[in-house]
Amino acid sequence: MTSFFNALPGAVAQGLIWGIMAIGVYITYKLLDIADLTVDGSFCTGAATCVVLVMAGNSVWVGLLGAALAGALAGLATGFFHTKCGIPAILSGILTQLGLWSVNLAIMGMKANLPMNVNNYKLLVSLRYLQEVQKGTRPFYQHPIFVVCLLTLAIIAVLYWFFGTELGSSIRATGANGNMARAQGINTNFNKVLGLALSNALVALSGALLCQYNGAADINMGRGAIVIGLASIIIGDVVFGKLFRNFGLKLLAVSIGAIIYYIVIQFVISTLSINTNYMKLISSLIVAVFLAVPYWQQTYTHKKQKEGKVC
Amino acid sequence: MKKLLAILLTACMVLALTACAASNAPAAEAPKADAPAAETNAPATEDGKVYKVGICQLVQHVALDAATQGFMDRLTELLGEGNVTFDYQNASGDTATCGTIANAFVADDVDLIMANATAALQAAAAATADIPILGTSITEYGVAMDIKDFNGTVGGNISGTSDLAPLDVQAQMVKDWFPDAKNVGLLYCSAEANSQYQVDTVQKYLEDLGYTCKQYSFTDSNDMLAVTQTAADESDVMYVPTDNTLASGTGIIDPICQAAGVPVIAGEEGICDGCGVATLSISYYDLGVKTAEMAYDILTGAADISTMPIGYADKQTRKYNARICDALGITPLEGYEPIG
Repeated sequence: MTSFFNALPGAVAQGLIWGIMAIGVYITYKLLDIADLTVDGSFCTGAATCVVLVMAGNSVWVGLLGAALAGALAGLATGFFHTKCGIPAILSGILTQLGLWSVNLAIMGMKANLPMNVNNYKLLVSLRYLQEVQKGTRPFYQHPIFVVCLLTLAIIAVLYWFFGTELGSSIRATGANGNMARAQGINTNFNKVLGLALSNALVALSGALLCQYNGAADINMGRGAIVIGLASIIIGDVVFGKLFRNFGLKLLAVSIGAIIYYIVIQFVISTLSINTNYMKLISSLIVAVFLAVPYWQQTYTHKKQKEGKVC
Repeated sequence: MKKLLAILLTACMVLALTACAASNAPAAEAPKADAPAAETNAPATEDGKVYKVGICQLVQHVALDAATQGFMDRLTELLGEGNVTFDYQNASGDTATCGTIANAFVADDVDLIMANATAALQAAAAATADIPILGTSITEYGVAMDIKDFNGTVGGNISGTSDLAPLDVQAQMVKDWFPDAKNVGLLYCSAEANSQYQVDTVQKYLEDLGYTCKQYSFTDSNDMLAVTQTAADESDVMYVPTDNTLASGTGIIDPICQAAGVPVIAGEEGICDGCGVATLSISYYDLGVKTAEMAYDILTGAADISTMPIGYADKQTRKYNARICDALGITPLEGYEPIG
């Protein structure tokens, strides 16, 4: 158990990083009502772009910015397929994801794995920094949890502001009721593309952070990202749905959802002596449980109401 | 209903708080915990200490499994039954999980981390600069760790073993077996960093020997068939490196190459058994054994990991596949032994 508690900061930091990705997924899944599968590819695009830029001698901030731009381009591609070619959204995402495999390899110079050795570069976050801050060889403000927390809060603040503007509101309207939005003179196609670009920019940003944290960009690293994203949204919603009504807080709930997801994973690895070959099964069960809870809640409350009690 | 929610929320808060507490508490303990570990490492030989070794393996795979098995068998033998506990974790191919596993090992303060395959090593290296890390099944440490002018020693807290069978010898094998061939097709999976490195290197050697080379890469097992077909049509001989995806797809490659009458020289025995004519074979089990011997020296303080050069498999065996040689009408060369 102690090893689990020692491992918690690492799990929280990793959860926070995936949380940024999950916030990106939230924009498409919840606001635009599109299941965007581009994510599995654009996550790695962000990582690849970041590593290549940093290896070329740029600062990590340039790497992060480049990653976000590359991710936005991936979102644009999906948006183009969907709105200009009339391909269903889910298929557009799959197509982009498929194509991104080659693009990601090309970005990394046709290599499947590019290392980002923490000894060679000044990184923003790294698994290594956790230990170094604990030992006091690194100031606390470089602790990955602190850094990613700030970054997450900044992103939430910007999104909160943006989705309150006329443009942001029209994106929300597009997702809520496309026909009505069009009737109001909103260009729904433009909004969808914008939303997809914004979403994938965040996903790529998250990928750029994770490759620094784990010390490498790998062509396989985005696989299954969408599952983690959806899981985070659902966990956040189940745990905080009744409490967090404000839009900003809802985004925060998504991030916390990702943290809870990784704490559970870390718990399984650190504490339970389960054969890790069952890891994927456990991940899917975690998501299934959190999906089932709202349903059980509903059936439970319905019964109560039938009995005439209000809870 | 509200009560249930409240309980759930409180639980989360407590969890969040303990998370903060946990991140603070070890701050004071960590240096203390490290110091005695370093001291006991130096003189200890048979002081009855139980060593804790974390093993992070990237993916379920015959070769990687063999390396892990060899490592565990030999280290248990060297340190004695009961003097070592293994925490074996498999990331199931997910590189992000390698980070979670490495984080768990560091939090658990293991005595040594054995990282099986490239992404596992990278995650472990990102996680700690103190705990000794031994890699295995890694082809080229200079590439994996981003070290310029790599001289055979990684330094710091990292060393390990490489699964590279000498590529110049393999290129020479092509020449020995097929001196009259002109075009050599190099088939590999673009998702594997090690394969790319081997193919690039062996291509240079082959071109020095006068062959014309062309690389054929596939992205996953789905388009392996089509790419292999093209490669078989355009080549006189094919070379395949130690490629994990390819290793599980030899059943696709074999019929295509036999139908086209194109012999395959393979980078390892498993692939050669499935679809190759000849190979220079290294045993991953032996590689794990060698890694365990390095681990023993580090744990007992007999060697300093920062000056430990990368180890290679001690013996390579030249082998041929009798079934495919017969089918293609090729007479095996002297000095090669049949597989199986």
